[in-house]
Amino acid sequence: MIAEWLRRVLKRQPPKALTVLVWIAGMAFAIAWAAPLVWMVSTSLKLPSQVMTRTIEWLPRTVTFNNYVHVMQKPVLRWMLNSGIVTAASTAVSLITGAMAGYALARMNFPGRNVLFFLILAVLIIPTEMTIVPLFIGVLKIGLVNNYLSLMVPGLASAFSVYLFRNFFLTLPRELEDAAAIDGANRLRMFWSVALPVARPAFIAGAILLSTTYWNLFLWPLLVTFKESMKTLPVGMAGFTPGTGVGQSTQVEGYAGAMAAMTILTIPSIIVFIILQRQFIEGATSAGIKG
Amino acid sequence: MAALGSVPLAGRPFSLARLRRATWNGERIDWWAYVFVLPFLLPFLVTTFGAILFGIYVSFTDWGIIGAPHWIGLKNYERAVADPWVWKTWSNTLRYGLVVTPTITVVALLMALFVNQRWWGYTFARAAFYAPNVVSVTVIGLVWVWMLDTRFGLVNQYLGRFGVPDVPWLTSPSWALYGVAIASVWWDAGFSMVVLLAGLQDIPHELRESASIDGANQLQAIWHVVIPLLRPALSLVVTLLIISTLRVFSQIYLMTNGGPAGASASVIHYVYEVGFSRYQLGYAASLSVMLFLTILVLTVVQLRAFREKTW
Repeated sequence: MIAEWLRRVLKRQPPKALTVLVWIAGMAFAIAWAAPLVWMVSTSLKLPSQVMTRTIEWLPRTVTFNNYVHVMQKPVLRWMLNSGIVTAASTAVSLITGAMAGYALARMNFPGRNVLFFLILAVLIIPTEMTIVPLFIGVLKIGLVNNYLSLMVPGLASAFSVYLFRNFFLTLPRELEDAAAIDGANRLRMFWSVALPVARPAFIAGAILLSTTYWNLFLWPLLVTFKESMKTLPVGMAGFTPGTGVGQSTQVEGYAGAMAAMTILTIPSIIVFIILQRQFIEGATSAGIKG
Repeated sequence: MAALGSVPLAGRPFSLARLRRATWNGERIDWWAYVFVLPFLLPFLVTTFGAILFGIYVSFTDWGIIGAPHWIGLKNYERAVADPWVWKTWSNTLRYGLVVTPTITVVALLMALFVNQRWWGYTFARAAFYAPNVVSVTVIGLVWVWMLDTRFGLVNQYLGRFGVPDVPWLTSPSWALYGVAIASVWWDAGFSMVVLLAGLQDIPHELRESASIDGANQLQAIWHVVIPLLRPALSLVVTLLIISTLRVFSQIYLMTNGGPAGASASVIHYVYEVGFSRYQLGYAASLSVMLFLTILVLTVVQLRAFREKTW
């Protein structure tokens, strides 16, 4: 195998000098782009006394996990659980309702279809900030603050999910369902046993995109959780901001502790991203097209 | 059945069979559709459509956190026009957008062109460029507070090696907005890169190759062939960036909380201040309606100008 590889490399034309230069510059840029995350992990493993120095040490002189121990004194696991529950539930609801409505929009004939599709397109453009004040009033008046249902509000009706599934079902050949219709299947059966099983790619793309969005939501959970135990991970971890004139509570451990908290917050996202890199990038493309 | 058919239309009794045969657009109506749409439609009408209408109503009231709302007409809007903070936060937001939008566009274009070459190691480069986009904004904010620390931050330490004096990125009124902008570029460039990458992959390879055979060098080929063909993707990226920069909030909240002295406060940050620190919900709603109208106008203008079929 190595011999094969060598032969291929040797047969290839040597790259031009300019190409090599551009490649080096590009790779250096990529490394620099990843550097803040590396620096974050490095800082989180340092003794607080070795953090505030004017010498740049990429590798900690002494590795310590004390910062993590300090961070875990906060209800981090509870926040993680909250985030997990809200993300999973919101994603599931969005995918199921989105697949059903998307299927209806793509395949069925009913009065109001065009109006509904227009509304969905309009909502894709409208910024969510527009709805934050009225939703906050609503949640407050019903007394839903500090509860999972209120955290799920942004995930209850995902126009994006409907749009994604509609586009997917439009690309499916109609013959699949026609065959089922001849067998006497009704709409529900056609949806359940013909359309859904082939919709896996749409479910995967939607699940990745929606769960990342819901996991990372910040403004809404910040507004509707006053109790420490009901915070989501991104909101809870924001409390580790070291004092730079920021309005949140400050932590004694300073940057070392803050970076330990940020590492904990980053790890789940990065692991999922590395495993599903291709799907992430394809999914983001379809999201970009949404306009 | 034949007898039923002779009965005049208006006098027909309601019958399930007739409903089943009803048509719309020349095709039979599929009543199942409403069952399929309902689980989405009900929450949608409440949490999105209803919320928008309710928000517009609230913007005409003096709603606070307690007590009943009173209709005060256009008072909130009059107050907004006279409010120096509104002008300040709008000017901050626009300046932020004017810095971030072109920077991200250029950086993302360079990234996309590089990754698209598929040279050795391109998957690593693509992952590195996109990774910041998948992590929480809390990480973006706090990591960059640390990176941009005036005395001990990595950025100033490296700049110091070139003799640049320490820059007070987040603590001086003249720099704070740009400090936040750096973090935003790092966060968002990867997403724009992916959109541009998809655009690049739509360009037939032969077009570029024929250009280089014609004697045009790589740079010229990129400038004269690739960029013009990339216009739809570029216009989409710019539009998305303009809209997202107008909505900037979380990074600012985390990094500077709008300070120092409001130097980095954005429109949404002011909405947050007014609505959720001072609980002047009516006024906050009017501020977000104004932002909403701006974004709506921009989107319509963009759609008109490019007439690209983006959906």
